[in-house]
Order: sequence, then C-alpha cells, then structure tokens
Amino acid sequence: MRSLKLFFQLILALLFIFIVQNSFAESQDSFALQGATIYTAKGAPLQNATVLVENGKIKSIGKNIRIPHAIKIIDVKGKVIIPGLIDNHSHLGVFDSGDANEFPQPIGPENRALDALHLEVPDWMEAVKGGVTTIVTGPGSGERISGQSIIIKTFGDDLDKRILKEGGEVKMAVNAKNLSHIPSIQNTFIKTREYMKNWGKYESGDKKGPPPRRDLGLEAMVRVLKGEERVRCHIHFANDMVTFLKLKDEFGFDLTFEHSSEAYKIADEIAKRNVGCVCLPLITRVGVTDEILRGNAILHKAGVKIAMHTDHPIVQQKWLRLCASLSMRYGLPEDAALRSITINPAEMAKIDDRVGSIEKGKDADLIVLNGPWYELKTRVDMVFVDGILAYDRMKEEKSFEEID
Amino acid sequence: MIIKIRLERNSDLNFLAKSMKLMAVWLATILVLILTYAQSKSIIAIKGGTILTMTGKTIQNGIILIQGERIKAVGENVKIPRGAKVVNASGKYIMPGIVDAMTYYGIRPFDLNDTSHPVTPQNRIIQAFYPFGDFMRGKGGISPDREILSGGVTTVYIAPGDRQVIGGQGAVVKTYGKSFDGLILREPAAIDITIGDPPKMAFEENKSPVTRMSIAALLRKNLIKAQEYDRSLSSYANKSEEEKKKVEKPKRDLNLEALIRLLHKDIPARVEADLVDDIRTAIRISDEFDFNLIIDSGIGAYKIKNLLAKKKIPVILGPISHPFITGDEVNSAPELMSLMDERNAAQLSKEGVKIAIASFGMGSGRLGRAIQGKLLLLEAGLATGFGLPDEEALKAVTIYPAEILGVDDRVGSIEPDKDADIIILDGPPLKIKTWVEMVFMNGKLVYTKGD
Repeated sequence: MRSLKLFFQLILALLFIFIVQNSFAESQDSFALQGATIYTAKGAPLQNATVLVENGKIKSIGKNIRIPHAIKIIDVKGKVIIPGLIDNHSHLGVFDSGDANEFPQPIGPENRALDALHLEVPDWMEAVKGGVTTIVTGPGSGERISGQSIIIKTFGDDLDKRILKEGGEVKMAVNAKNLSHIPSIQNTFIKTREYMKNWGKYESGDKKGPPPRRDLGLEAMVRVLKGEERVRCHIHFANDMVTFLKLKDEFGFDLTFEHSSEAYKIADEIAKRNVGCVCLPLITRVGVTDEILRGNAILHKAGVKIAMHTDHPIVQQKWLRLCASLSMRYGLPEDAALRSITINPAEMAKIDDRVGSIEKGKDADLIVLNGPWYELKTRVDMVFVDGILAYDRMKEEKSFEEID
Repeated sequence: MIIKIRLERNSDLNFLAKSMKLMAVWLATILVLILTYAQSKSIIAIKGGTILTMTGKTIQNGIILIQGERIKAVGENVKIPRGAKVVNASGKYIMPGIVDAMTYYGIRPFDLNDTSHPVTPQNRIIQAFYPFGDFMRGKGGISPDREILSGGVTTVYIAPGDRQVIGGQGAVVKTYGKSFDGLILREPAAIDITIGDPPKMAFEENKSPVTRMSIAALLRKNLIKAQEYDRSLSSYANKSEEEKKKVEKPKRDLNLEALIRLLHKDIPARVEADLVDDIRTAIRISDEFDFNLIIDSGIGAYKIKNLLAKKKIPVILGPISHPFITGDEVNSAPELMSLMDERNAAQLSKEGVKIAIASFGMGSGRLGRAIQGKLLLLEAGLATGFGLPDEEALKAVTIYPAEILGVDDRVGSIEPDKDADIIILDGPPLKIKTWVEMVFMNGKLVYTKGD
C-alpha cells in the first residue's frame, strides 16, 4: 500500500516535471545558443561559449553553463554572437511621409515623435536584418528645438512592449553660421527657468488663485533642466560646440552632440564635461574627408564616449554595423568600435539596464553572424529580439532562390 | 666589309686601322652598355607579393616590369634587368588601378545639369572637368587628389548629371597625369540618358517632360532627327562636286552630330534606369534605333537578368551601402526602395551579365545614391557578402568597367603593353582593414600612404 502511494507520488512528480519541461520547450523565447564566439560588449570575447535565454531574458553566459533539459539548443558553432545593435540617432519611422520637420515652428519641444511614427513601413524589418534591434528615433534638424524622441525596439507585435522610453530626449539643432540659433535656444532655457519658478511658487504656496498656464513645450524643457532628460543637439562645427558647451555650463543639462563632425577638434573640452558624441555616418557623405573619418579615434583616445549612428535615412538603418567597421578602419580599436554601436549608445540613452550588452538579466537581443562582426563579407544570420527569432537568413535566402 | 677592303688596299695603315677597328668595337660595346643601363634604369620592377592580374591567373611571388608608361612584363619567371629600380612587394597584394565606371568626379555641382533644356546631347562633360585642385590655390598643373588615390582609383567615367533626358556626352579620364589632355582616355565615351523620375522633376511646371511617356517620346523624336540628319549628310557627301555646288550643304548641328555617333555605334548610350519598366523602355528604344546600350544604376536589373544576359547588355551598378532615395528626389522612391536588393550584383553576375560596381560619387546628381570613390573597393567587398564571388567583385571594379567603357586596351588589368596603373595593398583587397600603400600611374609612383 505504502509502495503504491510512493509509486503514485513518483508518477505525479514525473508528470509535473514533464509539464514544466514542456512549457519551456513550447515557449518561443527560451533557448540556448551553443558554441559561438560571444562578444558581450563588456570584456573580452568568450570562445566556444553558450548563452542561455529564458523568457526573453539572458539567463547566463559562459563555457560550462547548465542548460535545463528540454530547452531548445541552437547549434551556432563557429558563429559570432554580438548584442543587438543600437542606433542613437535615427529618423526611422518618423521620416516617412514628410513628418520629420515642423518647419514653421522653430521652437517645438512639445512635438513628440511617437505621434508621427509610421510602424508599417518596411524599413523596420530591414533594420532587423541588419542586426539593429533598438533605435532612438526622433524629429529632424530643421528647427532649433524640434521635439521629443522615442526609444524603441525595431521588432515586436506589442507597441507598448517595444517602447523603452517615450518622450524627452529633446532634439535641438544648431546650424553653422546662423547667429540666431543659440540665442533662441538660450531664450527657451531662460523661459523654462521662469516657468519652473512660477509653478514652484504656486505649488509651495497655498495654491490659491489660478495656477500658471500649462505649456507642453516648457514642461518638456523643465524635465531637461531637472536632469531627467537629455538634450540631443545636432551640431557640426567646432565653434558652435564651444558655444553650446557654455550653454550647458550655464544651465546644467545632460547633453550629447549629434553628428559631431568637428568634435575631434575640441575633444578635451568635450571629455572634460562628460558629453557623449554621436558620430557621423561614415559610409559616404560626399565631402567627408579622411581627417573627419579619423576623428572618432581621436575622440575615443581623449576619453569621450562615442556612438556611431546612421541618421537613417541618410544612411540606411541596416548599415549601422558598417559604420562601426569603417571607424575601426580609420583607427578606432576593435572593442571600442563594437561598443560604439552597443553599450555606449545604450548608456547615452540610459537604457543600459535593459539592452546594449550580453549580460545576465538583460533583454535577449542577440545577433548571430557568420564571421567577424566588422568584416565586409560578414552577414547577419539570425536576429533575436526579446528572445524571439525575428530574422533567419537561411529562410529568406531559400525563398529568394524559389522566386528565381 | 668596307673597312676591310680599304685595309687590304693600304697595308701601311694596317696597324692603325686594326686598332681603330678594335676601338670602334669597344666604343660600340660601351655605347650599347650605357644605353642598356640607361634603359634599365628607367625600368621599375615590382617584386614579390600576390599579383591579381584580373585577366590571367593570380601570380604568387611574381614580378612586374614597368618600362616608361607601360607594363613590360608580368610573371613568375621574369628576369629583372640590372639597374632596374626594384620595389619590394613581398607579402603585399598587387592589382590594377581601380576603374570607377560612374562618377561626377571633378565636376562642380552647378556644372552637372543643364536644366535649360531636357535634351542637350551636344554638351560634353569634359568641358566641365576640373582637375586643377582648389580654385585659385595649388602649385599649378594637374593636382594630385590624395583622397581618390588613397582608394586606388586611377580611372573614372565622368558623366553629366541625370536631371535631363539626354544630358550630354561623358568621358573616361585618369585621376592623375601630366597634362589635361594626358588625362583623357576616351572622349566622348558615351551619351548619357536618363529614363525615370529625375528628368520629370527637374524642369519648370508645365514644361515637358513630366511623364515617362514624354521622356520616351523625346528620345525617339531626337533619334529620328539624327537619322534624317545622317541621311542628308551622306547624300550630300555622295554627290559629285558639280552637284554639290548646286545644293546647300547641310548645316552643322552639334546635337545631332553627337547622336549620330550613337547611331553609328562609335559610342554607346548609357541609360540610367532603375525600375524594371524603365530598363525595358531603354532596351525597347535601343532595339528600335539599333544602338549599343549600357544600363546605369539598374536597381531592378536582377528581375530581368535573363533578358539582359541574352542581349549582352552590361549594367553599371550603384553602391548598395548608400541607397538613400527620397520622395523629394523621385516620385517612385517607395517602389525603388522595395525593389532594391543587395543581391543584385551576384544575381546578374551569375546569369552572365557583365557588371561594374561604381561609386556614383562626387556630385549632386544623385547625392543620396553616392559613395566616395575612395571607398569603392570596400563597396565591392560588401557585395561579396551577398553572394558575389571575390574574383568577380574585383573584376567589377577593374577589368569589367574597363571593357564596358571601351578602354580595356589601356587599363583594367596587369598585362604587358597596358598602362602601368598599378596599386599595391597591404593585405587582401575587399577586407575592411586593407589599405592601398602605393599607386603607380603611367609608370610613375604618384601616391604613397602616409606621405
């Protein structure tokens, strides 16, 4: 009788294990990638290593990690794994249908990229194919303050889940040789201080009488002055940068320079203030000289945190990896080049708790490549976003051959 | 013989003559030696390394002899003449200078498009070509452009912009040389035509062309005019001197003269066409008027690769790394973007279509589609990731463009008697970290990395 009870208990236990294992096996976002060289973007690459993903998050990485039974093992022997790439400056989804610039309104911090986001354009999938899994996309540079950006994954069914951060990330633009640009931004900061003061008075007082009028634009700017949001400033010329740094000294806000063509000429000034530089799309721009192409290495050496960007559609989103390869060609060390499209942009956008490196607990945004990440011939074989297989090249190649 | 006979007649002078004869032999020998030495001194020998000839086999540890402006010999067992200047290239890669089959190199943006009229075949881009460095600066003469040379680019096709239906006549030029005329390899080299959106959007409102129908009609009308002009010219030429006096000589017409070159197949038409339908239109018109056709850009070419292969129509492809096309530029931007496929080059090449990969650089004609010429070799490297074999990728920036441009008797490969345009690289080409270390043009070292 007792042994029968034990027997049933055993059966139950086995059944339980079977159910648990099956639920793992069935869940799409749990698997192990085995046998690749893993570049975590933090520290030296791990040879012949495994990364274990459970429920869309990275569970563990290493050579001899325990893989639960029944979890799907994907053999990626000889391949290279890098974190999903991050572009800190894109106009993907916003640029379409001419929605990037509200030209008649030079100061428009209230404008929000989300409200202009075209999610159905094919560029998103193209970005995935290039291994780009997270982007900071926002309004253009036609205005002095063009609006707020959005930080979003390039893949996923649920928009709310895709968004890492919406609003803030205020985009500004200083274009050379226009004396009015910086004063008009400075004026906005001054107005913001007054606005803060008025609201402060109202809220610290007895709140009698009408509250100050709400101003959506200044509300965004208040968050900037409180240090909750960063300013992303489109800027090319070194003298403009010097001036803008003085503005930062005066008002004290978190800042990254965008495009940063001549940042290398004042690298020390920038490093001193801990301002990140989002650097020029390197592929092509006609007129980009070798000096500027070498600028990224100069900035890196001076201790400036740099991130490559495509400025999509200026360079197509999918070529972000090539931008980093090129900066490596022009003197940036290999590990720094990889960081410039992974952890650095994540840190600049303050999303490094979620993405940017292959570390325990982070989102399973992983790229499997068929060769060294920086080489021209190397292709993206697989892309995982939140542990979901978003792209599998072998499948696509097959369908292309069928069309033939 | 003459000396001998004389000597026999006058034996008194025998001794003197004998010594003179000896001296003459010596003098001749010395002269020959000096001449040989002087000649060999002007010979450059590139020794060692992997020689990618582009037409023959790849040669390991070979030798290239350059004499004057030309390649004298290439091979494994070439003897280096005494006194030759030896360039040690062991461990390096050696290949012919890069040929960029589509550029606006040396053309100032405002010179690109003559938007006064959609059809201007008489315009010659060579007249806008400016190889003298910065305006009102420099030492004089042709200015070496270190940026373009750093990419190993030695020959380029220069074209008028693409905003007109017939923009004019292009030219093939070298990127560096002694004199302006010395740069020109072929001029005129082709008639540049655009079928597609750019000419529709370049002219004032209510001025044709604003549709593809009108573009095609304009082409046909002008080609018919050229046929008629051609007939009237030859009928006048065939008349007797007596008859010629009676009739008026046909007036010269530079526009039609240019188009006659096309109809006589002296030069080909280069038609920029991207949509499959535009490429078909180009083929249709070339069939109707029987001229040689080259497709430029050809984003959708892979879709009709069989037809292109059958008709032996070469395609000069634009860069894949920078396919930025916006609605401001062309109506059919979304269609083009979805048509674009990085495997275009590989697909065409596999089918047997002759392809060149070009930069389309240095101009405003299509800013969005251009890369800098110095990165062209890297662009070819990218194509290898999408299925183009390495060798084909290298040929697509050397011998194939040379053949398409009709200058393969001079450039595009390392073969005896060709121009000594040779580049030495510090590693295998098509790799991201490989750099051009030396560039020889017309037998002269014109660029050294780091100088």
